This record gives sequence, structure tokens and C-alpha cells, in this order.
Amino acid sequence: MIRLENVTLGYGEGTVILQDINFHLRPGSFHFLTGPSGSGKTTLMRLMFLSIEPTDGKIKIFDREVKRIRATARARLRRRIGIVFQDFRLLDHLTTWQNVALPLRVNGEKVSRYKADVTDMLTWVGLGNRMHQYPPFLSGGEKQRAAIARAVIHQPELLLADEPTGSVDPKMAHRLLRLFVELNRFGTSVVIATHDHQLIQHYQDMCEHKAPRLELHEGHVHIV
Amino acid sequence: MQADSVAGKSLTLVISIMCFLACLTAGTVYLINKSASAWLRNIATEVTVQIEPAERMEDTDSLAKAVKEYVERESGIVSARVLSISESSSLLEPWLGVNSKLLATQLPRLIAVQLHPRISPDLRDLEARLGAHFPRVAIDDHRQWQDQIRTVTHSFALGGIAILFLVGAATTAIIISATYSAMASNHEIVEVLNFVGATDRFIAHEFEKHFLRLGVRAGVVGAASAMAVFSVMPLLVEFLGSGTLTNAELKRFIGNGMLDSYGYIVLLMIVIIITLLCVLTSRFGVFRILHNQL
Repeated sequence: MIRLENVTLGYGEGTVILQDINFHLRPGSFHFLTGPSGSGKTTLMRLMFLSIEPTDGKIKIFDREVKRIRATARARLRRRIGIVFQDFRLLDHLTTWQNVALPLRVNGEKVSRYKADVTDMLTWVGLGNRMHQYPPFLSGGEKQRAAIARAVIHQPELLLADEPTGSVDPKMAHRLLRLFVELNRFGTSVVIATHDHQLIQHYQDMCEHKAPRLELHEGHVHIV
Repeated sequence: MQADSVAGKSLTLVISIMCFLACLTAGTVYLINKSASAWLRNIATEVTVQIEPAERMEDTDSLAKAVKEYVERESGIVSARVLSISESSSLLEPWLGVNSKLLATQLPRLIAVQLHPRISPDLRDLEARLGAHFPRVAIDDHRQWQDQIRTVTHSFALGGIAILFLVGAATTAIIISATYSAMASNHEIVEVLNFVGATDRFIAHEFEKHFLRLGVRAGVVGAASAMAVFSVMPLLVEFLGSGTLTNAELKRFIGNGMLDSYGYIVLLMIVIIITLLCVLTSRFGVFRILHNQL
């Protein structure tokens, strides 16, 4: 699914954020990406959803080397990935419903085909009565749930979620985690960047096994 | 970029002005061309026989009558008519004023000859034969006039095309600048679209829709303003206190100043071209920016 080989990423002159990263995420896997604040979790997520390119090393996504992918193919590849941003990245000029429907619209699907799915998804994440609101009028937690709904609406093969439960209460966090687990059961590979240990524990309680952890520390990844 | 924002309104206004100038230019060239074509059509089937005045006016009159009868017998001649002194003087009136009647007696007598539109006589041969039969007779087939009219018309058409090109170039430059500015101010939106898998084509299409609306709106406003100018042109010239000569010259130049249905089609074409220019320029602009961002 995703393979990183000797990946290094640096900014400016000599500032190295990630160093010699090597790991392989298999299809259908579930991983937590952990590490202290500023350890490079978001940067690693950005590398995995093709937002930035490494200074050195090789990244393969869906068996394709990222550096060799052209713009149009890159766009098609991104449609197979769902992304939850830490800062939500909802479009303020679209309603919540339109934001969630965006990946399907971009994919060229007809509204009539996905209308009910989007409404159901919003209801499931508890935004059934807020779907016609614009993001500036949503609370932090509501925005986060809308961002998650947008990331999973097209049932991606890979879900990358950066602190997806940072702005919601524990009850909603567990509900959202159940959504990620359900998606994973249907074959979606999931990577959740978090430092919420309760969430990791809850996964263990729910699935009766531990999810492998990618632990970032001083620019290196250790698989725990 | 929102159409109702200050920047959006300013851009719409600038494109409207561009469209207005383009419509005004195209409409004027069309009117001149139409007027010149009508004029050329008229004078192509008309020649003037000129008779130099004799010492006595009676001699000139009888000579004119004889020439007219001779010409009328020729094949390909529909009619011939000797212009009276007052008619000749009225032709000079716009240039020489009302005193031209006195001068007209000193000028050649004119016979207006209407030619058959399809069976035209050999005018050089006719002139030679007239010269052999009558003294002081010459034929003016207006060829020099026709050449001059064509030259003037072509010059105006070329000038008009040059202005249209300049307006087109300015519009393109404005749209390129607006596209860059729109892309910069909507950077976050473009980024999110990229992340959810939008292709460059999809993003360019979103911008195209915006610029299509802008182009149509600005085009219609510009064309409607130009139409209004063409409608009030005769009144405007009169209101500004033009003399008889100016009016006569203006009418000769652009007819009554009103556009016919073909003229409106020309303006519609300008609106379509301006809109297409907006859409295509923004499309290629977005592609270029996205390509450079990689």
C-alpha cells in the first residue's frame, strides 16, 4: 500500500525533520502514528498524501513511485486516499453537505447517485441538522466531524487522519473511531496520527488486539 | 473570486469598457463599410458626361441636349438627364455656399447617365465617339472616386482591426492578471481541491465558469452601451451643433448611424469573442499556474 525507503526530509539549510524513514503499510492494515508534538507526524502524513516530496529516498504508493507520477495520475491516486486534516480544511463558501460531497463531485459522480449517501453520512456523524450550514458557523467539533465525513464518504483505500479526534468529546471520539474500524474491516488501510492514548486504548478494547504503532522520535520512526 | 466583491466588480467594469470599445469600433467599421458599399454600388451604374461651357449659355444648352440624345441611343444606357444650373449649384453648395449658383454657369454642364447594371457599354469607345461628334465633351466614370472610397474604406477597416487586436490583447492581459490574483487569493481552496483528487482540468473548469459569467455579463453591458451610442449618434451630432456640411459628410460616411440586423450580429460576435477570450485565457492561465506549482 505505502512503502517508504530511506526517506529523508529537510527544510532550508540542514534542518532535518525526518531522517532515513523505512516502513511498509500493507493493504487493510490499521496503524497509529504517535510521537510528541513537533516530532514530524503531520509532515510524515503530508509525505504520504503527496503534498510534499522527500529530499531523499523513495516513496511508493499503490505500487507507484511518487516522483514518477504525473499531475493527472497524481490526482487520480489521491481519489483513492481519504485525508482528515488537523485544521479541517473545509471550504467556507460551500455548505457542510457540499463539503462532504466534494470528493464525489470531483470524481465526476452524479448528485442523484450520492445525494442520499452524503445525507446519511452527515446524520451518522451527528451533523444531520447542520448539513446546510456553512463551516464558519460550525463549532470546532462539528468541523472535525464534517472533515472526517468528507474523508471517508468515497470509501477510500487508504485513510490518513491527522489528530481526527482532537476537537471532539470522548463519546464522539469513540464513535468516530468505530467508523474508522468499520472502514478498516471493509478493506480500507487506516493511519491515525494522534497523541491521544485513550483513543489507542479504546481501539484495543474494541478490537481485542493492539494496532501497530509508528512512533516518531527525533526524526526516526520506530514500529512498536 | 466572488463576482460581487470589489475586485470582481472592478474587473467586470474594465471588461465591459473593453467590450464597449470593441463594439463601437466594429460597429463603426461596419457602418462605414456598408455606406461605402452602397455608394460604390450606386456610382458603379452611373457616369457623368461633362460639357465645357461655351461663350453663350444657349450654345451650351443645345450642345447638352444633343449629347444627351446621342447617349440615349447607345445600348446599355438606361437613361440620361441634363442637370439644371440649380441642380449643379446645389451640388456645390455644401462647399461654396449659396453663391455657388453664380459660379455654376462657369462650370461644366453635367449629364447624369444611368447604366444598365449588367450590359455596360464600352465607355472609352463612347468617349472617343462623343469627342469626334461634339466639342468639349468628356466622360467621368467615377473610377478615381471608387478607388479613393475603396482606399479609405480599407484604411478604416484595417484601423478598426488594429484597434480590435489591441482591445483583445488588453483584455487578455487583464484576464491573465485576474486569474493569477484569483488563484493566489483562493490558494487554500485550490489546495483542498488538489487533496480530494481534483485534476487540473476540474480546477480550470471551476475558474472557467466564473470567467464565463463575468465575460457574458461584461459583454452584454458593453454591447448594450455601444448600441445605445449608435441609437443616439444622429441626435448627438445634431445636439453638438454640427452644420449642414458636417451632417451631410457624416451621413455619407456612416449612413444614418443606426445599425441594421447584420450590425447587431457583428456586436453579438464581439460579445461571444470577448467571452471566449475570458474563458480560454483563464483556462490556460490556471493550467500554467498549476503546472508551475508542481
